[in-house]
Amino acid sequence: MLWIGIHLPALSLESFIATLAPADDGPDEIGPVALVAHHRVVAANAAARDCGVRPGQKRATALALAPHARLGEADPARDDAALMAVAHVALGFTPSVSFGGDHVVLAEVQASLRYFGGLPRLLQRLRAGLAPLGHELRLACAPTAQGAQWMAPGHDDAEAAPANSKADWRARVGAVPVARMAAAAPHLAALESLGLATAAHLWKQPRAGLTRRFGGALLADIDRALGDLADPRPALQPAPTFDSRLELFMRADDSAALLTGAAVLLNRLTAWALAHHGLVGGFELRLHHESRRRMLEDPASRTTVLEIGLGEPVSDTAHLHSLLRERLQRLPLAASVIELSLHCHAITPGAPPNAELFPSAASVGEGWHRLLERFEARLGAHNIQRLQPVADHRPELATGVRHGGDAPSMCARAPGTPLNLAAPSGPAATSSGDPAHWPRLKRPVWLLRQPQPLRDEGGTPLLSGRPLWLVAGPERIEAGWWDDGYAARDYFIAQDNDGALLWVYRFRRAPEAGEVGWYLQGRFG
Amino acid sequence: MSSPSSLLPLEHLHPALWRAHQLGRGREAVQASGYAALDAELPGGGWPQRAITELLLSRPGWGEIRLLAPALARVGAAGRGVLLLGPPAEPCAEALAQLGLDLSRCVVIRGDDLLWPLEQALRSGQVGAVVAWAPASLKGESLRRLQLAAQSHEGPAFVVRAEAAAAHPSPAPLRLGLAGAGPDALAVRLLKRRGPALEQPVVLALPPVLSRTARQRALTPRRTRTSVRALSASA
Repeated sequence: MLWIGIHLPALSLESFIATLAPADDGPDEIGPVALVAHHRVVAANAAARDCGVRPGQKRATALALAPHARLGEADPARDDAALMAVAHVALGFTPSVSFGGDHVVLAEVQASLRYFGGLPRLLQRLRAGLAPLGHELRLACAPTAQGAQWMAPGHDDAEAAPANSKADWRARVGAVPVARMAAAAPHLAALESLGLATAAHLWKQPRAGLTRRFGGALLADIDRALGDLADPRPALQPAPTFDSRLELFMRADDSAALLTGAAVLLNRLTAWALAHHGLVGGFELRLHHESRRRMLEDPASRTTVLEIGLGEPVSDTAHLHSLLRERLQRLPLAASVIELSLHCHAITPGAPPNAELFPSAASVGEGWHRLLERFEARLGAHNIQRLQPVADHRPELATGVRHGGDAPSMCARAPGTPLNLAAPSGPAATSSGDPAHWPRLKRPVWLLRQPQPLRDEGGTPLLSGRPLWLVAGPERIEAGWWDDGYAARDYFIAQDNDGALLWVYRFRRAPEAGEVGWYLQGRFG
Repeated sequence: MSSPSSLLPLEHLHPALWRAHQLGRGREAVQASGYAALDAELPGGGWPQRAITELLLSRPGWGEIRLLAPALARVGAAGRGVLLLGPPAEPCAEALAQLGLDLSRCVVIRGDDLLWPLEQALRSGQVGAVVAWAPASLKGESLRRLQLAAQSHEGPAFVVRAEAAAAHPSPAPLRLGLAGAGPDALAVRLLKRRGPALEQPVVLALPPVLSRTARQRALTPRRTRTSVRALSASA
């Protein structure tokens, strides 16, 4: 058994800082921040400590020392959400992950060592996986879960060689101070007065007497740490759907502030996807607005829901972040946002992308899909069009338009059946040889959205006052008797004065008096 | 002293060097245009990659898509995407497919602000070919940005502009003026290229729209043109 203990010494502070909007003078400059519980400071960051703020001080004292400090309430639920993300990352490396109390995550990695290429490589990847969450880490390796739980808060020495003999391990456990033992917490003063400072001091005492005074839990924990007592830990199961919320410390009025908060949630989302060994296929960001009186009547207006679907499921935050940025930038905010929540139900099982040195066909295709998704997020799905020939003779209906980057079933304009035009004059047939000898082009490339009426002068159409010469035709198109778009037209290819070729038509029946005879529908681009 | 003939020709020193009377070769691979007569006049023998190519034409419908079709078809056949940004009218899927474009890899982008997607597409380097119809308001500054972005774009990038833009300088290394030259023919003037100026336009035979008889008819002088009635009768 090889346990890795991951301790997050500043988790509460970091999870609070994540809810703060970036300060105006730079993202790295957070300024003094402290956490308060029951009107007393429980944690302070380096900038606050420089001002003299110490844990244990009263709230008023801290504010007097650092008037511009941002004080937040300690929130165990917020810490748990952040800790869960850390556990999710660990689940990407091993299925047996559990919580070890007091901001420690334990992961048993013996069975994963070979796959990840040894302990140093595994630790390196674990650190890299945890890096986006932005926590200060202390890692420790130990042969027992209880041992890892006690070692991790010590110092960050996971890379040091693990204990290689029983005596060596016994010596290390013996050095653990009693203050780190959860079972010793109610008896710390008594233990100190007895001069019992470490685990070794405890096990040298008569067991019966120690058990009578401090209960059996203390010695049982030491036995578990030494490996003398079984220590089964329930393995954490990641939730089947992802729901995470983030209460913002300050109201967010612009997309930049929202993005900072959303980035935290997105990192948790990808950690959850990693725990499932899956890819994110889409998510939903809900913006909870500050409630105003006029909004109280309509609860729906208090939340804005942003749904982001991906054509190709992904596992990295950067792409999700860029999609969200494009969407948020063009989203008008009805009111200030006080809380964000992120939901994801669509996880796609799939292998993580290969870290390739040179781009392959697959990675090129992926980049293309991502680019289209970014366009879709910024410009809207209706501005991204894919064309498809449709089996209809009427030219205005012969091109089907599919909106959006990739999803094939989004909203098709075409009522007809899509046509497969690959074979007869497809790319293979035409892209080689002299273009002058390609098969004759039957339709113009450019079709006008609305056919342009042309003046008729003695049977010759006029375009902006100049006559068009008909050089080929007629091609009769008579279709649509089955729906409302009945068309009976004779199409001609016309040449204008400059030599450009146009596609014009007139109705099959003779035009009545005062009716326009000719229409321009396309240009041979 | 060595005779000048024994010296290494200047243009062999470095691929980026060429004499004023020669055609530049460039270091970058090019995408063959599919028209032998045009390739012979283009530096490097085809459409440049990693650079903007400007096409100047008075209005759509001279045969610009037919000019680009062989190159775009080849890009699609290589499995890469083709972006059409802000086309001047509705593209006809059947015509594009007949010109050899792979419609499954062809995406049309519309919208008011096309500079952003154009720049992003060029910068990403994930697109095989880009054809953008620039608004009349396109500034030289924006073009410079695009030209910079195009350096990471592995493929041809065409910006279609109005003819009036020919009077203004442009950072694009290749500028072509397109005009009709009769039915199914296109006159390509090389306004700017890495090489000597070309006085005469290159006249290209485009993929045909007209049959042989129709072309004959189109070439006959106007006076003797057939009327619609005669055309209908002959058909």
